[in-house]
Amino acid sequence: MSGRTGTRLGDAMSYLFMLIMFVFFAGPLTYLLSMAMRDKREIYRGAARYIPNNPTIDNFITVLNNSYFPIYLWNGLKLAALSGLGVLIVALPAAYAFSRFQFRGKGLSMMGLLLFQMISPLVIMVPLYRYMNRLGLLDTHFAVVMVYIALGVPLATWLLKSTVDGIPRSLDEAAMIDGCNRFSVFWRIVLPLSAPGIASVFIITVIAGWSQFLVPFLLLTKNDLMPIGVGIFNFRGMQTDSSIQLLAAACLIAVVPAIVAFLSLQRLILGAMTSGAVKG
Amino acid sequence: MSPIAIEVDSPPQSRSFMRRFAGAPLPWIMPVIVVIGIFYLYPVIDVFRLSFTNATLIGDNQDYTLGSITNALSSPQLPDILWATLIFVGGSVIGQQILGIAVAVVVIRGEKRGLFGTTILRTTALVAWVVPGIAGGIIWQMLFSEAPYGALNSILRLMHMPVVAWLSDPAIAPWSTLISNIWRGTAFSMVVMYAALKSIDPSLYEAAEVDGATASQQFFFVTLPQLRAAILVNMILITIQTVNTFDAIITLTGGGPGRATEVISLYVFNIVFRNYDLSGGSVLSVLMLIISLGLAFVYASFLPKEEEQ
Repeated sequence: MSGRTGTRLGDAMSYLFMLIMFVFFAGPLTYLLSMAMRDKREIYRGAARYIPNNPTIDNFITVLNNSYFPIYLWNGLKLAALSGLGVLIVALPAAYAFSRFQFRGKGLSMMGLLLFQMISPLVIMVPLYRYMNRLGLLDTHFAVVMVYIALGVPLATWLLKSTVDGIPRSLDEAAMIDGCNRFSVFWRIVLPLSAPGIASVFIITVIAGWSQFLVPFLLLTKNDLMPIGVGIFNFRGMQTDSSIQLLAAACLIAVVPAIVAFLSLQRLILGAMTSGAVKG
Repeated sequence: MSPIAIEVDSPPQSRSFMRRFAGAPLPWIMPVIVVIGIFYLYPVIDVFRLSFTNATLIGDNQDYTLGSITNALSSPQLPDILWATLIFVGGSVIGQQILGIAVAVVVIRGEKRGLFGTTILRTTALVAWVVPGIAGGIIWQMLFSEAPYGALNSILRLMHMPVVAWLSDPAIAPWSTLISNIWRGTAFSMVVMYAALKSIDPSLYEAAEVDGATASQQFFFVTLPQLRAAILVNMILITIQTVNTFDAIITLTGGGPGRATEVISLYVFNIVFRNYDLSGGSVLSVLMLIISLGLAFVYASFLPKEEEQ
């Protein structure tokens, strides 16, 4: 009897806690949406107009028409997608080697990779800026993508290694008996079977690239090369208190693609994170 | 592996070259070595070198000197910066860790009991985590703003309560940045804790149940000890993550009011890319690196040893 009331009390407490947490996590995003859909007069009503009386999509239209926004979006997408591809090209062979070969210093180099993950991009950007400048690579997307790739490779290698670890070695061996060499085992067996892990690493890298601010902010100066992160930062600098609804719309436009990409592959991403990063 | 079988249908020259090439680990790892070498190792070494110079971002002349190190470390602003960093990092790590465990425990309990909304909560927390730092700063600026559109103050006004200077009072602003960072980062801890909770052997709870342990006793004497390793690894990751965060602060407070929210990463950013002081920034970058690694080693020393597991 007391056990059942205890469980019911526990349920009530769980619901209360979940409600508070839901308001904490969802509140800011819904307020952004609310701001982005208000007209000029209603922005001054604050939270009193949480649901605007005259909801409008004019702000989105203004942002997408009047500024560099479509270019920022395209640049953001391009840089993020290319870095996702680049990370896979660099990290996949290494993940295979770390999973299937035994060699001296393997554990040490895996740990070393994680150490690099700990270094702030800020630390490496100081010298990189100078050398990109000397090489004439400032204001090129090439330089930005290369740095994104470097930033993504350590984690990607770890995650992909645990994916490859999950593929039975007996499949490799069977293929080798059939005359495959290492490369064709990798290409024909390991890659197709790693598809879920590859997809999640790709999307994690793309989302990280989409969120990037520092690297493009420093390596790019031309407005038509900027990706979305820098774009909204600059856009913010041009807004005043009376055009905050435009900033909200711009911000929402920058946030939504990342959220959609994440939600559509949520299961895969969480699977890769919990099996690889955490237990690895 | 079956080397005999491979020898049997020995192919022409090119394939045996391919096999020898592909059979050694180095070619496979080469791309990672090159990328890490060029974009991580080399710059890091260069940062150490630059901190012994008087280099600036503009101009190539530089001399080797210890002046930059003594200047940067004796700067009267440094204590304030380190204090702001301590609050931001310490608060974020504690807040994200505790909230992460709490949400994960409740989500798992909710899943077990089939409560409504567990998936919604988990997903919402994760969505906050995907929001780019710059956008996160802008969103929280709209919530904390003291202008009429500021959400929190307008709610306080509706309730006839005094408004709060969330971002302009130097005593309050650090806590505001902290809240916004906890919002953005909790989901990561939640995922880590969720995975760790799921991997706890259920028989431990059955045994505790038989021994008559209450729910809170089960939490403190079964759950927490089992989570120890995951908590420490998670703390390492979020500490490093937070020490390096500055984009969310740039848009939220810009480091102000005064220097109340200027954490070390933002300070380094300002010194190098606004004051063009490359060597001073390099010294502080090294300091940042030492703080991250130092804390990581402290946590790691609490990790259970292999044989204990």
